[in-house]
Amino acid sequence: MSVIVAASLTQRFGSDLGLDAVDVDVDAGEHLAVLGDNGAGKTTLLRILATAARPTSGSLEIFGLNATIERRRLRAVIGFVAHAPGLYPALSARENLEFYCTLQGVDRTRVAEVLEMVGLAELAGRPADKLSRGAQQRLAIGRAVLHDPKLLVLDEPDASLDSGGADLLARVMKGRTVVIATHDHALANRLCQRTLMLRHGRVVGIPTRLRVVH
Amino acid sequence: MTSGITRYERGAIAAVALMLVAAGFIFLYAPTDALQGPVQRIFYLHVSAAIAAYGCFAVVLIGGVAYLWKENVAADRLARAGAMVGLVFTTVTLVMGMIWAKPIWGTYWTWDARLTSTLVLWIIYAGYLMIRRLADPGRQAARFAAVVGIFGFIDVPVVHFSVTWWRTQHPGPVVINDALPPQMLIAFFVTMACTLLLAAVMIAIRYRIEVLMDQAAERVAPAPIVAPTEVGSAR
Amino acid sequence: MRSIAVALAVARKDLTSEWRTRELVPALAQFIVLALVIANFGFQIDSHNAPAIAPGVLWMALVFAGLVAFGRAFASEREQSSLEAMLMTPASPAAIFAGKALAAALLLVLCEAVLLPALALFFGVPLSFDVVSAVLLATVGMAVLGCLFAAMVARVRARELLLPLLTLPLWIPFIVFGGQAVQVAMGGSGGTGNTSGLLIDLDILFVVLTSLTARFVLDD
Repeated sequence: MSVIVAASLTQRFGSDLGLDAVDVDVDAGEHLAVLGDNGAGKTTLLRILATAARPTSGSLEIFGLNATIERRRLRAVIGFVAHAPGLYPALSARENLEFYCTLQGVDRTRVAEVLEMVGLAELAGRPADKLSRGAQQRLAIGRAVLHDPKLLVLDEPDASLDSGGADLLARVMKGRTVVIATHDHALANRLCQRTLMLRHGRVVGIPTRLRVVH
Repeated sequence: MTSGITRYERGAIAAVALMLVAAGFIFLYAPTDALQGPVQRIFYLHVSAAIAAYGCFAVVLIGGVAYLWKENVAADRLARAGAMVGLVFTTVTLVMGMIWAKPIWGTYWTWDARLTSTLVLWIIYAGYLMIRRLADPGRQAARFAAVVGIFGFIDVPVVHFSVTWWRTQHPGPVVINDALPPQMLIAFFVTMACTLLLAAVMIAIRYRIEVLMDQAAERVAPAPIVAPTEVGSAR
Repeated sequence: MRSIAVALAVARKDLTSEWRTRELVPALAQFIVLALVIANFGFQIDSHNAPAIAPGVLWMALVFAGLVAFGRAFASEREQSSLEAMLMTPASPAAIFAGKALAAALLLVLCEAVLLPALALFFGVPLSFDVVSAVLLATVGMAVLGCLFAAMVARVRARELLLPLLTLPLWIPFIVFGGQAVQVAMGGSGGTGNTSGLLIDLDILFVVLTSLTARFVLDD
């Protein structure tokens, strides 16, 4: 079953082309790695796939729904870890998650589970700005799975993760459909079945089917 | 290059000709006002321009609401055109108002309801055009401008009302408005009709310009030449 | 209703953050006192002209403080990415907006708690029910308008110029009615002519309008 069917996604910023006619297909349960240098368009593509941004042109269907029209419905089943975590610095890790429970309409008991899952159970009471970059990233990942989303979109989550980050990602990605942008080819190899390479906003190369190495 | 006159040029010529006709009515047909003298003749264009200005803002409102509802780019273009033409007419209204005020009230400005709300209208139009210029071009600019247009359109009568109300607390200069004799009324209606037509022609011309500008913006800078790679889809 | 829970959660989050960092309210309170001191020298206020000038000073201080307070609601870069994270949930943008406007309004009310006594002390503005209710009612309308345009302007260049340009024309009626209410309370000319009713009407009008348009401003 197709989760993401995207055709000819194009994103223009003024007269610059961020994305140029990109097609993406992702099936249920698949993990897709989006590779490419900085400025290749990874973040632009991921934001569109997460419904955080709308493309200038092109079509996008997620879970069979038109992503532009059904945005609110889709966001309920999508988890997004953006480039900037967007956490509340004065609030503790737990309070950050509790707030999002209210927004997501999810029971507060989930907070303890998620804190455990991302390894922040001991730091739960610490204000977010006093957490290390790695811990903040864990918190952002935890927030993204609070509502148990079926589709997870991760924009370079490994960039500031500390050790054990790859394990955390593997745990979090298990059983979900995932699109993950990363620089780390080894990580992509380990976690994903397929890759998509971007350069200057275009898809380049024939995507390889990777062997998942455990 | 096509020879012959485009329909826009024809429209422009017709509108200008009609304004000359209106000028004829104003200066030759309408009698001189007994109380205010020749300065009173400004009134015909001043009030017509004010009505045209608010009419243009109605166009901005309708275009904006239509855009928010259906994301119809043509509606947004119409709103853009209406805002620019409206700003012109608002400026005309303000300037004529000040020219008229000086000999009548002895001052260029007074904070009565009409002058104040016209000034507010001008500021709102200016804000509308600024947000269009400063926001991300395309969807964001159109959305933000539409919201500004909605609030602006509602704000002008609200401001007018509040200043009128305030004036009942603090009486100020009163406009001497005798009932207009028939000749003046006719001159006024002729002028108003011609001015509205002029506004409509100007909006049509500006709309066409916006279409051409949008088309030019569609043409994107060519992508940089890179080393040959195989380009394909994700599958 | 979930929307109310969301709005209250957002408001509580903003207020908690402000309480823990204590950035905005002290700065605003100092600004207000400073503005009053300057007004005293700029206008040479004495007991004779106080009823004519003091209402103006009150509303000017309120307008400038309001621009800062509401401008902050959506201002920082960090705020933008967290706003996007909030929009990625099922919570309605109108509810999120309402929460932020509520928090910003309450912060401004805290400053009013400094402003009004200071005005009473320095310029003899009475702390009567009329004055306080006029200020509070105006704060509601000014808050929703200020926050809506602050959200718009946060994403755009030249925001310090653009926020007053867009917001002040809409604040004029509040200042007209509120100013008159204070002036009458100080024994100035004219009757109150039911300013409270008029302010409530304005509040209802703009709360409804901003709720309807919030989602176009916050979301793409």
